[in-house]
Amino acid sequence: MSESKEKNPLVQLFDTFFGKHWPVWVGGIVLGLLNILLFAIKSPWGASGGITNWGDNFYSLFGLFNEKGVTAISENNYGMLVLLIILGSFAGALFSKEFALRVPPKGEMIKGFLGGSLMAIGATVGIGCSIGSFFSGVPALSGGAIVFAIGLFIGVIVSLKYLLWEMEKFPGWSSGKSYNFLAAKPNKGNWQIIIGVIVLIAILLLSYSYSKDNMVMSWFIIISGLMGLISQRSRFCIVKSFRDPFMSGESEGAVGVIAGLAVSLIGFTVIKIFGIGAIGELSLRARELTWVFPHFWAKAAAGGFIFGLGMTIAGGCAVGTLWRMGEGQIKLWFSGLAMVLISPLSNKFLVPVVDNILPQSAKFRNYLPDYLGYDGAFALVLGILLLWYWFVKWNERTGRFSAF
Amino acid sequence: MTLDCKGLSCPMPMMKVAKAMKDLKSGEMLEMFGTDPGTKTDLPNWCTKTGNEFMEMTDLDGGVTRMVVKKS
Repeated sequence: MSESKEKNPLVQLFDTFFGKHWPVWVGGIVLGLLNILLFAIKSPWGASGGITNWGDNFYSLFGLFNEKGVTAISENNYGMLVLLIILGSFAGALFSKEFALRVPPKGEMIKGFLGGSLMAIGATVGIGCSIGSFFSGVPALSGGAIVFAIGLFIGVIVSLKYLLWEMEKFPGWSSGKSYNFLAAKPNKGNWQIIIGVIVLIAILLLSYSYSKDNMVMSWFIIISGLMGLISQRSRFCIVKSFRDPFMSGESEGAVGVIAGLAVSLIGFTVIKIFGIGAIGELSLRARELTWVFPHFWAKAAAGGFIFGLGMTIAGGCAVGTLWRMGEGQIKLWFSGLAMVLISPLSNKFLVPVVDNILPQSAKFRNYLPDYLGYDGAFALVLGILLLWYWFVKWNERTGRFSAF
Repeated sequence: MTLDCKGLSCPMPMMKVAKAMKDLKSGEMLEMFGTDPGTKTDLPNWCTKTGNEFMEMTDLDGGVTRMVVKKS
């Protein structure tokens, strides 16, 4: 009797999802579809706003920075989204028996905190992170998002050069004692699956608890939990998509992000053209300008560059940090902590200075269809995605720009 | 040659492997111990791309994975 006949079909289904990692392009497409759902019910995927909400709540415990009042995490869609990305990834890591508390050498934890701090500054100056200002901003047909992406690209290149230099000159910074706790033993560790089931039930109950009074939050909880799980299983990460073509030459991460962007581009454009979710003329314009931030061009360029530096040093973009926290990577806990602590400080002390220096012409909402029409804006973004795809595939074949 | 990448997360294990492979001669082996789940996918993919031979992957106690690569 063959092995496939012996296995219970449900076990086979479970193995399909959790036996091995998913191709990144599968993760990218599903994340793109879920992003369209988030936009349809309220607004697209973002992470830095929720992380800042966590920071604001932390400081408000000490009576700091809460002049305008702080929305409780439990009432903030994006504050809850951040929590649920971590929980969804935690469940995914447990189901695949990949969860462990991985404590890296000290130098790596310092780099995690430093990278998280730079991401916090980049996201607050640039009004968005690798998700809000890039993965959602580009399909939202925002001109600023394209500038933010260019900033990210340059920041990643500079930061990668630094990491290569550091590894050559100071290899000890990423060496030393490390610890691993709670890892599953080979061919054992079913306790992780049991805890995964408990986490999944907790997510469903949490969603249900909002269903009577706040249906939007109820769905945000389900969708962001799924996003965390899918990101962990496919190892979806924006920094990987920008960095790997110039490091190992591999294109898989980039292709995954391009696939997600292409799917979101179609869905977002439909939502904006037809004003899905809008009520009345004013609201229609607000719907068009959703996730088109007033950061074109200088704030987007500076924010993207600083964020690109940070995410490469940390080894995880905004969502990459959150899902790696869920699978127990302590280096990324330090990145997440830095983002929570530094974002409110940057908003309070740095962003007003930047806003005072820059003229209005360097920080406005650039909505591409206002200049190119929907056809032209859609074609421009699609053309950029195709060009990016062609470049990473060509570079993978030739190794022209890869370091290894 | 043996490389200890335990506790390191993406991209450090792959950077260290690529650097170590530069110092090996054709036919020599690199043994790597790591704890990052991503490396289980990244290293075989990198070997396929570079022509190096991915010889072995074994899960050990404590969440450690042993991987062996032969330089082409």
